[in-house]
Amino acid sequence: MAALQRVASSLSTSASSYGSCKGSGADVMVSDQFPAGLRVLVVDDDITCLRLLEKMLRRCLYHVTTCSRATAALELLRERKGCFDVVLSDVHMPDMDGFKLLEHVGLEMDLPVIMMSADGRTSAVMRGIRHGACDYLIKPIREEELKNIWQHVIRKKWNENKEQDHSGSFEDNDRHKRGNDDAENASSVNEGAEGRSIAKEDDDTDLENDDPSASKKPRVVWSVELHQQFVSAVNQLGIDKAVPKRILELMNVPGLTRENVASHLQGRVSLGFWCSSSPDVRFAYGGAGEAPTSYKFRLYLKRLNGVAQQGGMSNTFCGPLDSNGKLNPLGRFDIQALAASGQIPPQTLAALHAELFGRPAGGLVTTVDQPALLQASMQTPKCIPAEHGVPFRQPNISKHFPQNVISVEEVASGFGAWPSNSVGTAGPSSNLGGMNSQNGTMLMDILQQQQQQQSQQQSSLPEPSRSINVQPSCLVVPAQPSAAFQAGNSSASVNQNCSYNRNAMIDYSLLSPQSNNSSLNIGQISNGDLKTTGVSVYSGSGSISPLSSCSVKPDNTSQQGRSSTMTIRAVRQLPGLGPNSSSFQGSYGAKSSEVLDQGPLRNLGFVGKCTSIPSRLAVDEFESMMSNLDHEKFYMETNGNKVKQEPNIEFMDNSRVGIPMFQPLPPVSSDLMSVFTE
Amino acid sequence: MLGWGVDRLRADMSRLLAILFHQGVLDEQFLQLQQLQDESSPNFVSEVVNIYFHESEKLLRNLRGLLMDREFSDYKKMGIHLNQFMGSSSSIGANRVRNVCVAFRAASEQNNRAGCLRALELLEHEYCYLKSKLHELFQMEQQRVLAAGVRYPLQQQH
Repeated sequence: MAALQRVASSLSTSASSYGSCKGSGADVMVSDQFPAGLRVLVVDDDITCLRLLEKMLRRCLYHVTTCSRATAALELLRERKGCFDVVLSDVHMPDMDGFKLLEHVGLEMDLPVIMMSADGRTSAVMRGIRHGACDYLIKPIREEELKNIWQHVIRKKWNENKEQDHSGSFEDNDRHKRGNDDAENASSVNEGAEGRSIAKEDDDTDLENDDPSASKKPRVVWSVELHQQFVSAVNQLGIDKAVPKRILELMNVPGLTRENVASHLQGRVSLGFWCSSSPDVRFAYGGAGEAPTSYKFRLYLKRLNGVAQQGGMSNTFCGPLDSNGKLNPLGRFDIQALAASGQIPPQTLAALHAELFGRPAGGLVTTVDQPALLQASMQTPKCIPAEHGVPFRQPNISKHFPQNVISVEEVASGFGAWPSNSVGTAGPSSNLGGMNSQNGTMLMDILQQQQQQQSQQQSSLPEPSRSINVQPSCLVVPAQPSAAFQAGNSSASVNQNCSYNRNAMIDYSLLSPQSNNSSLNIGQISNGDLKTTGVSVYSGSGSISPLSSCSVKPDNTSQQGRSSTMTIRAVRQLPGLGPNSSSFQGSYGAKSSEVLDQGPLRNLGFVGKCTSIPSRLAVDEFESMMSNLDHEKFYMETNGNKVKQEPNIEFMDNSRVGIPMFQPLPPVSSDLMSVFTE
Repeated sequence: MLGWGVDRLRADMSRLLAILFHQGVLDEQFLQLQQLQDESSPNFVSEVVNIYFHESEKLLRNLRGLLMDREFSDYKKMGIHLNQFMGSSSSIGANRVRNVCVAFRAASEQNNRAGCLRALELLEHEYCYLKSKLHELFQMEQQRVLAAGVRYPLQQQH
């Protein structure tokens, strides 16, 4: 709450400085209230704890129901389906094991369940994770921890939306396939590193594995090599089609059974889901619990999609480095901060990456190296070619937008910010006020890929509705006077990329050189540009949010009134996170990173499907509370103008929608247009 | 008697608390507990602590019962009891009780009967000490509230 308020207040102040935010006050109100009223069911046989928890939760303004018996709780949940948002359950209860309850709730109600216990040993936490708990709190539980449990509700909703996206877009599967592959690549990279560090613990966790089903199947040690085979098989298949049987066929490893693969797949998913918040979870990866039921399996698979960015990204950056899972974001922050401040040479970062990924010099490493080059090139921004155009470190951009002819630097910052967003590291980077070298590099990769893949992109033209993304790209183009040529390319690619929206998110985090998704990346990059502009408008701190908003916007434009509002909300959320990221981290640690991650995820979902909007509304509302609309609107306007002016006919539909809503910004747009025409 | 004792009582309370913290009997979680006490639940601390006493005594009885069973001690059940004891003790900030629970649990996991018995003795001792001290504290608190109530009738809430 405090963090939220801070976010809101900081936003409002920045908004006021521009004088363009009428609704900021109301927004702040909403954000203050958001977690309030969350319906929490607490189950604990220890009455002392129950009473304490009840009190603490009430002080968080949640709506609390307590229950001292697990069976009674389960009955209550069944009777009043839909009356609870989240369940807090003790692990050891006499009438029913907490894990049993967890399984029932997960399967019947599909509610987020947070386990609690005084037993904080790794094995106990591991069990909780394996059974699908979304968090594991160790007693004594502090009020601060409970303040944040709403995040699990939102995350779950987002993930569900993503699942819906998937199921609703079968016809698009082929088109999305590339994107999926990229996402898989990214996660596979991360997991490759995981596999290495986890290999040892594998056996230990298995000993502690008390799942009866574990004994049914022969034990397979997942070596790094085996795991890589597994990952590549999954990549080949794509997330939707990666069923154990086919993975097994592709892997073609004698002695390996379908069950082995299935359990590994599940472990892998849970790992991805959790690694960002707890190092212990990594062990689960090797330990891979029982073979999931088909239902669970599919569910997990789908979740993996949304999770990849969170877990995967955090791993990429801080992977083994952080000893304390909860501090993950902090760890990340440190690294990046050091990098930004120049204390870590790019080479070191590259080495770290190599270590993490288990790959000598993949795209990530190269990306790391490039920033150094970029820095040198920074001094002469105008000459920067597209590939090198992204400086990784930037000063705060706090210029007024209209006055601003977007300089190359700004554009670059936008790029940097965007990747960081997807990674979930955006918060830290924004705090630093500089871009991470990694981000910069990521951008670089993207740019490079753009050129290579333009041909590919062309082949995969987006549907009209999705082409909306183009708008952001257009903005980008004008923004870069010197790099106009590059921008033009990027915009084109962006348009085509739109179809991949969802995947794009994942791709960013991964940024593997091999990925075909570069087009997606480009689209996001364009967003990044937009973001930068948005940032410049505000105060530079919120650079992250504008990007996300941009991507969302396009979708909304197609849907007009309602959708437009939704986009705005999405946008808000990100900015809030960006500037305030420091406060989040301080108070909540890992959670901040998660929140950041959500921003991008949500956008993806949004972009991907317009049809599911109603279901998203609730989520959107939450998000909207977090930040100010006004800024986004302003930003949107600029986009709309640019879009109109775009030469591309394909995107015109989108532009139409957007245009009526927003008035064009004459000075900027004209400048941009001129650049573009050139 | 009425009114003038408030300050002295408050000083006594904070002195007692300081001693308990210094001895490690209580930790900062107890302060958290105190912070949860507000207008909506003016007796929250004593309410929770009394629940804790009630539950703990049940647990201690059960633990002793389990250990007194000479042929077969159910160490697993003991572990569950101890887990709960740990959870509630740490939740109210009963640091030393919690620490003994940890040692107790370790002994029970090793099926170390002698160790368990020793730990149980210690646990009972620590628990009794905590209980007496907290009772002392609550009595002072009660007196203080009474005195304060007489002195400032408008604020009398109890």
